[in-house]
Amino acid sequence: MIVRERFRGLFQKYLLVLFMAVAIPLVVNGVVEAWFGYRDQRERLDQLLGVQATSAAAEIHDFIFDITNQLGWFVQVPWSDEPDERRRTEALRLLRQAPAIVGLALIDHKGLERLYVSRIGLNRIESRTDRSADPAVVGARSAQVWFSDVSYHRGSEPHLTVAVVGNRPSVGAVVAEVNLKLIWDVISAIKVGKSGFAFVLDRPGRLIAHPDISLVLRGAEEATSKPFRNIRDAIGPAGAGFATSRDAEGREIAAVAAPVAGPDWTVIVEQPLSEAYAPIYAALWRTATLLAAGTIFAALLAYALAHRMTEPIRILEEGTEKIGAGSFDHRISIETGDEFQRLANSFNRMAAELELAQQHQERIAKLKRFLAPQVADLVDRAGDDSVLDGRHAEVVVLFCDLRGFTAFSAALAPEQVMNVLSEYYACLGRAITEFAATLISFSGDGLMVLVNAPVPVEEPALRAVDLAVEMQKSVQGLIADWRSRGYQVGFGIGLASGAATVGRIGYADRFDYTAIGSVVNLAARLCASAADREILIDAEVAERVRGKRPLERLGDRQIKGFDEAIPVFGISFDAVADIKPQGSGVIR
Amino acid sequence: MPVIGYLCAESPDLFASRLKAFHEGLREAGFVEGSNVAIDYQWAEGQYTRLPALAANLVARNVDIVVAPGGAQVALAVKAAAYNNAIVFEMGGDPVQLGVVDSLSRPGGNITGVSSLSVDVSPKRLELMHEMLPVAAKLTVVANPTSPTANSQLQKLRSAAETLGILLQVVNASTEREFEPIFSGAAEEAGGLVFTSDPYFAFRSRQLAELAMKYRVPAITQSRDFPMAGGLMSYGGDFAQSHRRAGMYAGRILKGEKPSDLPVQLVTKVEFIINMKAAKLLGREFSPSFVSAADEVIE
Repeated sequence: MIVRERFRGLFQKYLLVLFMAVAIPLVVNGVVEAWFGYRDQRERLDQLLGVQATSAAAEIHDFIFDITNQLGWFVQVPWSDEPDERRRTEALRLLRQAPAIVGLALIDHKGLERLYVSRIGLNRIESRTDRSADPAVVGARSAQVWFSDVSYHRGSEPHLTVAVVGNRPSVGAVVAEVNLKLIWDVISAIKVGKSGFAFVLDRPGRLIAHPDISLVLRGAEEATSKPFRNIRDAIGPAGAGFATSRDAEGREIAAVAAPVAGPDWTVIVEQPLSEAYAPIYAALWRTATLLAAGTIFAALLAYALAHRMTEPIRILEEGTEKIGAGSFDHRISIETGDEFQRLANSFNRMAAELELAQQHQERIAKLKRFLAPQVADLVDRAGDDSVLDGRHAEVVVLFCDLRGFTAFSAALAPEQVMNVLSEYYACLGRAITEFAATLISFSGDGLMVLVNAPVPVEEPALRAVDLAVEMQKSVQGLIADWRSRGYQVGFGIGLASGAATVGRIGYADRFDYTAIGSVVNLAARLCASAADREILIDAEVAERVRGKRPLERLGDRQIKGFDEAIPVFGISFDAVADIKPQGSGVIR
Repeated sequence: MPVIGYLCAESPDLFASRLKAFHEGLREAGFVEGSNVAIDYQWAEGQYTRLPALAANLVARNVDIVVAPGGAQVALAVKAAAYNNAIVFEMGGDPVQLGVVDSLSRPGGNITGVSSLSVDVSPKRLELMHEMLPVAAKLTVVANPTSPTANSQLQKLRSAAETLGILLQVVNASTEREFEPIFSGAAEEAGGLVFTSDPYFAFRSRQLAELAMKYRVPAITQSRDFPMAGGLMSYGGDFAQSHRRAGMYAGRILKGEKPSDLPVQLVTKVEFIINMKAAKLLGREFSPSFVSAADEVIE
C-alpha cells in the first residue's frame, strides 16, 4: 500500500510538472492574446461607431442645410415695391420639392412680410405685416442663418423655424417652418451594424428624430426623452469616444455622439452592446475554446508522458518487490530502449544471479547435512548432485561410540546429558569436518562416518585411520575429564574398507546419504568389539596403511554375522603423532 | 393566428388601392395576410348607416384588433361599439377634435391611428379654386351633412372665404343622386365647386369627374382619383401614406405594443394634382405658380 502511494505521488508530480510546462505558456499566451484582441476590437468599435456618428451627423446636417441652401435662393435679389410673382412661383415650387417645409414667409428689406405660402393654411400675398421684430428675423440678421428651438406642433410633431438673410439688407429675409418629423427618412436609413441606429436630441435633450417615429411624436414628453438624454450624458462631450449605457428597455448599449452644427443638436448612434461586442466575444470564445482544447491536450499529453515515465518505474518497483519477496524467477519486462530498460536488465541479471545463489545455498544446505562443508561445496560447484546418486563404491566405513555412556547418562540430569553430548559431538564434528569425511548418521552416543563417498578422496584408508586417531585423541581428552568425576566412560572406533552401495535414501524432503553393504556391518561390529581407547580396523584398511601408521595385529576375531574369524588390526593412537589431513576431497 | 377586423364603409372594389397600401404597411411590420395574420373584412358598400351594425359584428367575433380606415365615421362607429381590444383608425379629420383620442402624442385608451391632413386643408382647396377663378365672387362648397367633420370644415371655409373676400355658397350631398343637380347648378352660375374632405366624395371621384366634365364645371376635391379620372384638380393628404401607416401600426400592436403608447400620426404629405387636359376642356389654363406647386401634372 505504501509503495502504491509513493508511486502515485511520483505520477502526480510528473503529471503536474508536465501539465504546467505545456499549460502555463499556453494560458499566458492565450490571456495576452485575448487582452490585445480585446483592446484592438474596442479601438475598432470606437472608430466604427465614431465614423457612423459623424456620418449620421453629416446626414442630419445635410438635411437641414439643404433646406437653408434652398431658402438662400430667396435672398439673392433686392426687393422692389411691386408684387414678386417669380418669388411666389419659386416658393410654391420649394414647398413641393421640400416636403419638410410646412410654410415659408418672405420678408423684405423693411421687415414687411411680402409673401407667405403654406401647405395647410391660406397663403398671404403682400400682407405687408411688420415682422421686423420677429425673433427669427432679428436672429437671422445677426447670424445670417438662424435656428429656433424645437417646438412641438400640437404637442406632437417637432417643428423648427429657420430664418436666412442675404448678404445685404436689400434682399430681405426668409423664414421657414420645418417639420422635423421628415428627418425620419434620413434617420431611419442610418443602420449601425445589424440592429444599431441613430437618434437626434436637441440642446435641452429632447428627442427630435428616431427610427421609431412614435417616440418622436410623443412630443416633449419627459419620460420618453429621459433615457435618451441619459445616454447623451453617459457619453459626455460629443466625440469623446464610445460609452456604454442602457437604453429605454434597459439593454446595454454602446453609443457615440457627434454634434450637428447650426441648430446645435447631437446625433447619437447606439448599438446593443451584445452586438457591438460580438466580435470581441467571438474572439474571446475562440481563445477560450483554443485554451480549453490546449489545456485538455496538455493534460492528456502530461498524463501520457507521466504514465510513460512512471510505468517503467512501477514495473521496476513491482519486479524488485517480487524478487525481494523471493520470486527469483520473476523477470522485469521493460522495452523502453533507455536507462529504464538497462536498469531492468540489471535487475533481471541480479535476480538470475540471486536465483543461482539461492539454489546453490539450498543445495549446500542439503548437502551439508551429511557432507563436510568443503565437500558439500565441491559437490555444489560440480553443478549437480548426481554425485549423490546410488552407485557402488569402494568406501571406508567408520563407526564409533562411547562405552558405559548409558550408565553415565542415567546418573545425570537431561540437560547435563545434552551438554555432554554436545561437547562430544562438537569434538567429533570438528574432526569429521577437518578430514572431509561424510557423516552418515547419529544414534545416541555413536555415529557412522563414510570416507571416499560421495566424494572420492586420495588414500581413503589412511585418511580414515587418521580421522579415527584424531577422534580418539580428542574424545579421550574429554572423557579423561568425565572419568576424573568418577564416571566409567570409554570410547571405541571400528573401521572397515570395501565395496558398498552408496546413495541417497529417504522420501519427500527427508533424505539421507548412506552406505549399504557388509563393510558397514563389519565396521559396526569392529566398533562394537573395540574396547576403550581402541581403534579396530579390518585387513583391507590395515593393508592400505601398512608401513604408514603403526599397526598391531590383534589376531583373528569371530565377528557376529561373519562365518569365519576375521583378522583384526589395531592402531594405537598414542603412537601416532598429530596428523593433519592430507589434501582434501578431489573429485575424480 | 391573430385576426384583424377590417371595417370599411365602402366596397372592396373602391377600396382596392387603400387596401393595397394597408397590406404594404402590415408587411413592413412583418405580417402577411393568410400566412401569419387573418383579416375579417366587413364592407358597408357605401351605406354608412350600416357601420355601427358591422362594428358590432366585429366586436362579437372578438377579433384581436379592429382597423377602421376611411374616415371618422368608421372610427367613431367602432369606438361607439365599446370595443375593448385595440383599434387603429385612418381618417382625414382631426381625431382630437372628433373626440376619438385624448391627444395626438398620448392618444389614451385603446385607440390610435393615422390622420391625413385632408380635413385641415379644405380652405386650401377654396384658395386654389379662388386662384383658378379669381373673378368669381362666389364659390360653391359641397358638404356631406352626415359627416362628423362637416361643421368644422365649413367653419374653416367660411373664415377662409372671409379672408379671401369671396362669398360662399354651401350645398349638401350625402347620396349619389344629389351630385348631378349640384353640377348642373354650378354650370348655370359658371362658378367653381369646392368639395369638402369626405370619404363619401373621395370614393366617388369617378362619378364626380364625369359630372364635372359633363357640365364643364371646374371642381376640386381631396382625392387624387378625381383629376386622374378627368377632374380638374385635387388637394389632400396622401391616402397611400396614411393607409400604409395604419397597416404598420396594426402590425406593431399585433406584436404587443399598446395603442396608448403609439402617438397619432399625421400624414405629412399633402398632394396637389392638376389635370391640364381637363383645364383645356374647360377653356382655362393653369398659371405657372399652379404648375410649379403641383406634385403631379396630368397632361
